[in-house]
Amino acid sequence: MSALQRPRKGRALDLVILGVTLVVAALWLLPMIWVVSMSLKPNEELMRSTSGLLPIPFTIENYTNLMRVSAVPLWLFHSVVVALSMTLMVLVVSSLAGYAFARLHFPFKRTLFVLTIAGLMVPEHAVLIPLFTMFADWGLHNSHTALVMPRVAVPIGVFLMTQFMRAIPRELEEAAELDHASHFTIFWRIMLPLSVPALTTLGLFTFIFAWNDFLWPLVSATRADMFTVTVGLASIQGNFAFSEGLGSVMASAVFASLPIVVLFLIFQRFIVAGVAMGAGK
Amino acid sequence: MHHSPTLGRLALAALLASTAATSAGAVELSLLRFFGDCQADYGTVTDMTKANGECGIITALTNKFNAENTLGATVTAQNVEWGAYYDQLTATYSTGNIPDIAVMHSSVMPNFTSRDLLMPLDDAFAAGGIDKADFAPAALENATSDGKIYALPFDLHAILFHVNMDLMTEAGFVNADGTPRLPASPEEMISMGKEFKEKTGKFYIASEAQAAEGMLIRLWQSFMWQQGVDVLSADGTAASIDTPEGLKAAELIKALYDEGLANPGLDYSGAEQAFLNGEAAILINGTWGVDNYNAQAASGQAALKNYSVANVPAIFGQAKVWADSHMWVIPADPSRSAEETEAAVAFLKFLNDNNFEWARTGHLSVRTSVINSPEFAALPHRQEYAGTVEAATALPQVQNSRAVFEAMFTDFNAMWLTGTEPSEALASMQSSVDRILRRNR
Repeated sequence: MSALQRPRKGRALDLVILGVTLVVAALWLLPMIWVVSMSLKPNEELMRSTSGLLPIPFTIENYTNLMRVSAVPLWLFHSVVVALSMTLMVLVVSSLAGYAFARLHFPFKRTLFVLTIAGLMVPEHAVLIPLFTMFADWGLHNSHTALVMPRVAVPIGVFLMTQFMRAIPRELEEAAELDHASHFTIFWRIMLPLSVPALTTLGLFTFIFAWNDFLWPLVSATRADMFTVTVGLASIQGNFAFSEGLGSVMASAVFASLPIVVLFLIFQRFIVAGVAMGAGK
Repeated sequence: MHHSPTLGRLALAALLASTAATSAGAVELSLLRFFGDCQADYGTVTDMTKANGECGIITALTNKFNAENTLGATVTAQNVEWGAYYDQLTATYSTGNIPDIAVMHSSVMPNFTSRDLLMPLDDAFAAGGIDKADFAPAALENATSDGKIYALPFDLHAILFHVNMDLMTEAGFVNADGTPRLPASPEEMISMGKEFKEKTGKFYIASEAQAAEGMLIRLWQSFMWQQGVDVLSADGTAASIDTPEGLKAAELIKALYDEGLANPGLDYSGAEQAFLNGEAAILINGTWGVDNYNAQAASGQAALKNYSVANVPAIFGQAKVWADSHMWVIPADPSRSAEETEAAVAFLKFLNDNNFEWARTGHLSVRTSVINSPEFAALPHRQEYAGTVEAATALPQVQNSRAVFEAMFTDFNAMWLTGTEPSEALASMQSSVDRILRRNR
């Protein structure tokens, strides 16, 4: 008897957990559905009412209007260039620094590490003005360099890679050292392949950050032909867009987030693993 | 590898664009503005009768200038989202691509003139044939700093009472001439509101009440002027907020909420929706809403069928109302050539000549000749709020006036959002604003 009751109890618990998960998932999804639904409604209708999760009356005009803004492909191009090159550079810098901090011995290592980590405590806005003036003095604004370079030295990336590489068993390295492998060979042939989960996580988060970045591109790229997609889409909004052009605003939001959504769907496994990894450390 | 065709096409486009920019004899002007991008709908429109709305009209005007001017000048608009506009304009002075023409609110101009960032326009107006005597006094005052003109006034935008006449009729609040009967004193505003609510069961007032636009600060400021008090002194060093007049005005606005005559839960769009859906008799919002509400009422889709507009009534005595101006400036740029400056001035003259077109947005014209013209009188509802031009009160030319405005509304809205007493709210506003003004000394 008792042998039969336990699974039933277990099943009941599963059902409760499933129910709670569904409710929480619905709570998270509702705003997204609302956004998509509003993006498919006429602006005049939305001025009267924003309620209802179904796009009735239905229109795709908000999207076709967006496509008719001739600069949109150029803005997408800038976003892709900036996000990809930033991701690549962050991975290079963070993995090299991580390896050095985790495995190599050099003077002032601890001090340097503490200094790097201290960078985590400096809020972005505190350095915005000096950064802006520096790039202005060098005449670098309105360039990909200006959009990417300030974001390459990322303390959290160095920290993540250091922690991850510290956990890699030393025996693997020692075996390579016996074969007279150089530091770089060890880094390239052993540490890097073993760090793929951490690299993927860091890469994805950097890409998402770069794609969504708004404040720095806004002040640095002041020419419309250098806008990234976030700044560009914001620039086409009318003054009272949140009431008179709400459908267009929502269509912009959906459009700009599509690449990130696709990325998430493809790399979902790594992102979840990355969050778990961050929590475990 | 499969990326290269796209890359190639983009590189070609960039090359073509740069070649076009440097072709001989052409004067390229950059125009920095908000109002949105509507190239999709108006990219080639030069026929002004086909353009509507702020974005459509300014885009068509720009196209028309490009097509018709004899200087070989081409104005290219660069749009910035309104919330980020002044940050980006300021940034251009450092990034090195200062626009040749830029839109500016009069309330922001002192921040730029005090740092010599704008070109004085007195001589340009004289040379370009822009008649400054035709400007409404408040508008010209808004464009002037230390006796010099720094901007071409383009409109006056003030707050108005947008009225649902069906609800007013239901409550019996209609004058013999068909205009809405509005309160003439604070006491009357509350008593009429109560009577309205009893008769119709609807809200008397709808307004953005969540701070983002500070609509009720604009109303409160209007009530201060109506009592003869300037919130900011002309020299920008003192603020009169925590005063008996301030308290009277604040108590009236709080009472609207305490008595249930207005819904405190409305943001900007929520207030518009309440009005369009026939849930409130009077919407307090700016001139920029007129054509939209008119179109909504005419569409037959909204519960609002019978739309009318009124000046903000002189509840505290004098007919005064908050107003700001959209103006056009030429940012100072030592590298701009004489030809470019001449073309920029020609563009200002063109905009001024076409001021009537801009008045079709719902904003009030700044040119007396336009205000008195039959075309203007024929625009929907304009006669109903023509008095606002005279009641419009110029903002003092004070630095950081936007910061002052923003510092006020959080504390002010706390009156109905968290139940703060008016006296406490005003004391808190006074100290926040004093802190900002100390920087101006």
